[in-house]
Amino acid sequence: MTREGKNLLARASVAALALALGGLASGAQAANLKLMFQGDPFEIGVISDAAKRFEQANPGTTIELVNTPHDVYNEKVGAAVSAKALPDILELDAPFLANYVWSGFLQPLSGLIDQKLIDDMTPSDVSQGTYPPDKKLYAIGLTDSTVALYASRKQLESLKIRIPKGVDDAWTGDEFEAILKTLSTAPGVKWPIDLFRGYGAKTEWIPYAYEPILVSFGCDLINRETWRASGTLDGKGCVAATTAMQRWVKAGWVVPQSAGTNQFYAEGRPAALAWGGHWFYAEANKTMGDDVVVLPLPKFGAKGASPNGTWIYAISKTASDSAMAGKFLSFMLQDKAYRDGYRDHSGFPGLKSFAADSPLYAPGGPMATAFEQATKTAAPRPPHPGYPTITLAFQVAMTNIFDGADPQSELTKAAKKIDADIDDNDGYPPFGK
Amino acid sequence: MSAAASSSPPAADKLRIVKVASVVAITLVIISPLFLLAVASLKPDRFQILADMGSFKAFWVADPSLKNFADIITFSGPLPFGRYLMNSMIILAFTVTGGVFFNSMAAFVLAWGRLPGRALILMLLIGLYIVPQESIVLPLLSIVNRVGLADTFIAQILPFMASPLYIFLLYQFFIQVPRDIYDAARVDGARPFEIYWKVFLPISLPALATVAILLGIETWNQYLWPLMVTQTDRARPISVGIAAFFGADSIYWNYAMAASVMMMTPVLAFYLAFQKWFVSSVISSAVKG
Amino acid sequence: MTAEAFPRLSAPSAARRKRLLSARAQEILMLAPASALIAAFLLTPFLLSFRIALTNERLIPRPVPAHFVGLENFAQVLSDPTFWQALWNVTRFTLMVVPVQCGFALAMALLLNQKLPWRNFFRGALFLPAITSMSVVCVIWGTLFQFPSGPLNQILGFLTFGLAGPVDWLGNVNTSMPAIVLLSAWQAYGFQMIVFLAGLQNIPNELYEAARLDGAKTWARFRHITLPGLRQTNVFVLIITTIQAFKLFTQINILTQGGPRGSTDTVVQYMYSVGFVDQRLGLASAVSILLFFFVLAISLIQRFVLRDRQ
Repeated sequence: MTREGKNLLARASVAALALALGGLASGAQAANLKLMFQGDPFEIGVISDAAKRFEQANPGTTIELVNTPHDVYNEKVGAAVSAKALPDILELDAPFLANYVWSGFLQPLSGLIDQKLIDDMTPSDVSQGTYPPDKKLYAIGLTDSTVALYASRKQLESLKIRIPKGVDDAWTGDEFEAILKTLSTAPGVKWPIDLFRGYGAKTEWIPYAYEPILVSFGCDLINRETWRASGTLDGKGCVAATTAMQRWVKAGWVVPQSAGTNQFYAEGRPAALAWGGHWFYAEANKTMGDDVVVLPLPKFGAKGASPNGTWIYAISKTASDSAMAGKFLSFMLQDKAYRDGYRDHSGFPGLKSFAADSPLYAPGGPMATAFEQATKTAAPRPPHPGYPTITLAFQVAMTNIFDGADPQSELTKAAKKIDADIDDNDGYPPFGK
Repeated sequence: MSAAASSSPPAADKLRIVKVASVVAITLVIISPLFLLAVASLKPDRFQILADMGSFKAFWVADPSLKNFADIITFSGPLPFGRYLMNSMIILAFTVTGGVFFNSMAAFVLAWGRLPGRALILMLLIGLYIVPQESIVLPLLSIVNRVGLADTFIAQILPFMASPLYIFLLYQFFIQVPRDIYDAARVDGARPFEIYWKVFLPISLPALATVAILLGIETWNQYLWPLMVTQTDRARPISVGIAAFFGADSIYWNYAMAASVMMMTPVLAFYLAFQKWFVSSVISSAVKG
Repeated sequence: MTAEAFPRLSAPSAARRKRLLSARAQEILMLAPASALIAAFLLTPFLLSFRIALTNERLIPRPVPAHFVGLENFAQVLSDPTFWQALWNVTRFTLMVVPVQCGFALAMALLLNQKLPWRNFFRGALFLPAITSMSVVCVIWGTLFQFPSGPLNQILGFLTFGLAGPVDWLGNVNTSMPAIVLLSAWQAYGFQMIVFLAGLQNIPNELYEAARLDGAKTWARFRHITLPGLRQTNVFVLIITTIQAFKLFTQINILTQGGPRGSTDTVVQYMYSVGFVDQRLGLASAVSILLFFFVLAISLIQRFVLRDRQ
């Protein structure tokens, strides 16, 4: 037997013995839970500490942490499914929830998670964890995300541009374009706005940050009743939205992809506005201090829309001990040290109580307006099992439109592709009729 | 001052100066992009790095600090850097040792053996080199999972020990060995393995060093496969370990750059050690006799 | 001179047959480890992907199991203009990068083979790009290429006294692939360099001495001694660099994702997008098989053209 094999056998024997003894001793619950997640080093630390504290509070239970870099997260989930070794608790990126639930991996959280936590969720947090066909909650998270409009207070004031006080006050579409025009001739401004095309041409940022523009124009990536794309994605609203965005690029108002992502606060501030994620605040604040002002996204139609969605936790259907898994999640999401860790790294709140504790997002804080969006305008990306195809098709279409292609034909191509995938899967029952 | 020193003509001296000067100039130009990496690793504030990116400020650090390196080393809990380093070294040691021997043995047989079908095998090998790793990673993962080797060292060592690339490389070197040497060994009654071990290996040090270096670097920087096959920190190498710094929303540039510098140091030492074998081989002197 | 040097006049003795057999057995044993490993870890998954290419398998298993679709995936790929553009791009890339990278590597190997002061230091420094992992290389070069005021553009403006405007290296369809060629050659020339260095060791110094005594100039020595001496090495380097070039992926995936307007899309990037992002594994396997046959044909042609004509 190899050294490794012997090692494994030894460890397995010790573990088995410990488990047996532990079971005899406590006689009560003794579960071994596997948690698969991703995160940066601080998150890893915060989660491992919370897991350790839970183990101490619940003797006999062990939490095994599987830290998976997010690069190939979906592939690892697929591999785990094929190997019939899906973890008990699974972190996932919100847009893929419908895919996982439809594929039969997850179970509803009701009854497993403390009710008061569920009540504490912001509407945005609820929407990203809900599966449309049965309207049940399958995932929950402490944090959420959003995108806001960043600007320099001094610059706006010097150009006499109105600064909205809250979401209800947001710039309208026409106002927004007029402001872009004004900024384009302002001194020192090379590009009125940075849409962060620098993140890449094929990245989740594109549907994440731009779909709300489409939604605000009155259309969507896919019809959320019939669950088909043709007629919606290539409808008048979306064509108008993408034509407007193409107009901005053609006018030279948008930071090009190869100019990087720091033009908003780089020396000389070549970019006047930034359409940035909530994490962008820390970057801008570092260089610009209090001059950074956070504005709600403009409303291009009757209502404004803002993005949401981050990594949230779910419990797999094959969990060895669902009750204990739920208990762990309830514990962790309310654990003070866990929350403090995220607060110190500008975690965007998904729970109302967490928001109240974060100076950044509490009323009066610099990002309060951004947090308001989570209640008032957050629009989740389509919770549909075919989301991988939807996102890729939209990324390709949007990049081509930015490069000058005809919006109508690009969106029609994308819609056709999405519907072809849906047909390929017999409509993804029960989504399709 | 010996007489020899004063006998070199001034033209040769000038040529030498030109040679040295051009090497220095070329080296500076080639490694200048790497200054970005070094400079960034000395800036403890990741937002500062972001602000400096894209301009010449990225080449300059106002208050250099070793804090990033210190932080990484002391991370331990969530990111056991020492452990990752150790894992990478274990994988490197086994892969390179096994790789040098298995590949050279196979190359020797293909070059000098009598087995029928050698030409075909060589062609098959070159053909297999075409297959990109991205296309076999998923089927390979399911095989590895099925035999229960997920999250192990073995799963990271075995797939890379033998490679069409290095067999082909060594083959090209072995067929250059003069026939006389092979015949002389055979005449002494030696069989294939002895000829390989006692004659060919010792005279192929530059080629073996090349394989050791190339395989070593490839193994050290291997990312996609370890990413797929490791689940915990148990056998995780450093290339995957530092992936945590490239977060989902916001990248910790200071740690990512410092960790990259730390990752490059061992393999640089490895290269410098092996490149000493690039000395004129015994072959050239054997030809005379 | 032993009996074996003369033609056999009688049937081989039993002892000789035994020696031949065990020599054969040794050869098989020596080939065995490498062959077994390659068969298990390279050949088998590759053959498996043939099977997957004939189905509509997905990345994450679905409730509706994947089924056989015959050659449909191949037909779909071959009728996709994006695939052909990717194939053309990667061919363009190969034609540009092979001469640049190999030429530069050879030049550096020749330079570093000479007796120079601090030779080991230079060998180390010039090899650094090859040690740097590709993701770090991409971050560095992405910064260098930044438009409009990144370092490269600033140098360009300085060198042309402001006459040449800044170039959108990665964002302009005409310069995107050359930019990738530049950073790829920069990163990888080290590999070819040390292969050439090793090859140069096999060329006897006596040949150079004799030539020098005969009055041959540097270029003549290079043409008549170095190049022929490097023949086997050159064959290897050319074939391998070509194959490596056709597998271009990582830098594209990080920096341009195939853009702008598909000008840097490569076959492996296309395959990744189809297989890992769109999650259509069957289609992706079909792409990799098509790439395999295409590059195989090219390699065979190369090998034929470069064969030993003696």
